Amino acid sequence: MNVFDEVKQAICRIQPGIDESRITPEALFKEDLEIDSLSKVEMALALEEKLDLNLQDVELNDVKSVGQVVALIESRLKVRNA
Amino acid sequence: MPERVAVTGMGAVTPLGHNVEDTWRNLVSGVCGIGYISLFDTTGFDVRIAAEVKDFNPVDYIDPVTARYTDRFAQFALAAALQAVEQSGLKLDDSNKYDTGVIIGSGVGGIGTLSQQLAILNARGPRRVSPFTVPMMIADSACGQISIKLGARGPNFALTSSCSTGADAIGMAYRMIRHGEIASMIAGGADAAVSPIGLVGFIQAGAVSRNPDPLKASRPFDKNRDGFVVGEGAAVFVLENLGRAKARGARILAEVIGYGATSDAYHITKPLESGEGAARAMELALACAGNPEIDYINAHGTSTPFNDLSETKAIKQVFGDKAYRIPVSSTKSMHAHMLGAAGAVETLVCCKAVQEGVIPPTINLETPDPECDLDYVPGKARQVDVRVAMSNSFGFGGHNSAVLVSRYAG
Repeated sequence: MNVFDEVKQAICRIQPGIDESRITPEALFKEDLEIDSLSKVEMALALEEKLDLNLQDVELNDVKSVGQVVALIESRLKVRNA
Repeated sequence: MPERVAVTGMGAVTPLGHNVEDTWRNLVSGVCGIGYISLFDTTGFDVRIAAEVKDFNPVDYIDPVTARYTDRFAQFALAAALQAVEQSGLKLDDSNKYDTGVIIGSGVGGIGTLSQQLAILNARGPRRVSPFTVPMMIADSACGQISIKLGARGPNFALTSSCSTGADAIGMAYRMIRHGEIASMIAGGADAAVSPIGLVGFIQAGAVSRNPDPLKASRPFDKNRDGFVVGEGAAVFVLENLGRAKARGARILAEVIGYGATSDAYHITKPLESGEGAARAMELALACAGNPEIDYINAHGTSTPFNDLSETKAIKQVFGDKAYRIPVSSTKSMHAHMLGAAGAVETLVCCKAVQEGVIPPTINLETPDPECDLDYVPGKARQVDVRVAMSNSFGFGGHNSAVLVSRYAG
């Protein structure tokens, strides 16, 4: 499974019509993708459901970029699958 | 001196069309917008008909992100508001943005969103409920979204008085302009109650017609009427201080010249049988305008046994023998009961009537009720030189409201 693709899919779902080429690991949610705090929660819920994770303890305000979410999820999956 | 209040823009999304012109053309032609429900599976429901807005695609009006995070009722309101503002030519900038407010009422707000999220909560637990549940379901989401879209920074709120909502939103906006508090208001009503819980709520309250024939179920003032048909949609106006509208060269479509509102203080769903509260609302609206002659009444005319009888009595109380010479029609026979949008769309019908000199009919009035004996313009539209028209709206809770519009004659 490619975690970046999963995150990208979740972003496309919460921001219909977004230009997919803007979704890069460096992209910042607020500044580059116009994703506000509520939309970020929506994204987290979509990823939780899809990947069977619990991100409830994550302080989403501290997660600023797409790459940060990818890294976070990868580390959670590693712990889970260990 | 009170200020005069001009209508400079009108927008509508209704079961008869996605704009004012299509809606009006269908009303004048006697087209019924009621059909079998397509928005959800009605298996097990005693009633399977409603007047849905057909083939509505919100992204024809708003960006896809806004569309995703707004309830259907707010999407209708946004679409209607954008149409109205475009027609009015009103441009908001730093000079007037605080002088333009928004009042969009709704009877049941985002009831569709609430019921969807409740189903998610029950099936999948609290972690799966959308963070947008509250911003989408609150009744003021429509006026909030409209202000964001247009940059209107004046007073902004929703009001709710069930089926009088649209009329009261227009009435409040009219008063604010009339009293010189503000230059322009975007005002109207919107509802999207054709959802399982919305429909079943009205069915269980005994208010909805059990007639299985969609084209015959809404039959205001007919002896065999047995309830209303749930509709949905929105109608929104741009109302402006007449002097200010003229100064910017706006085309004046009509004038709002009166508004009156009362409460029955009697029963939460039944109107006062005598029609006394409704009569008083009409009298107050007439008094605002210096008691002009009325050429047309767009009745609340829900097709419930109670409403149509008490409204008939109320009209007779106000106008005496003259009541028999005033054409009264209920366009709910065609667009059904659009709840919080009803008073707005029916005020719009009155504005078109004074503009075009045509009164849309009451369709399905086939067997007269001896107790409902006014001229209800049965079956076919009628050409009448309508100078002043009145729209009546009454609602669960005992609300009675009347809005008066006149042709603009300089």
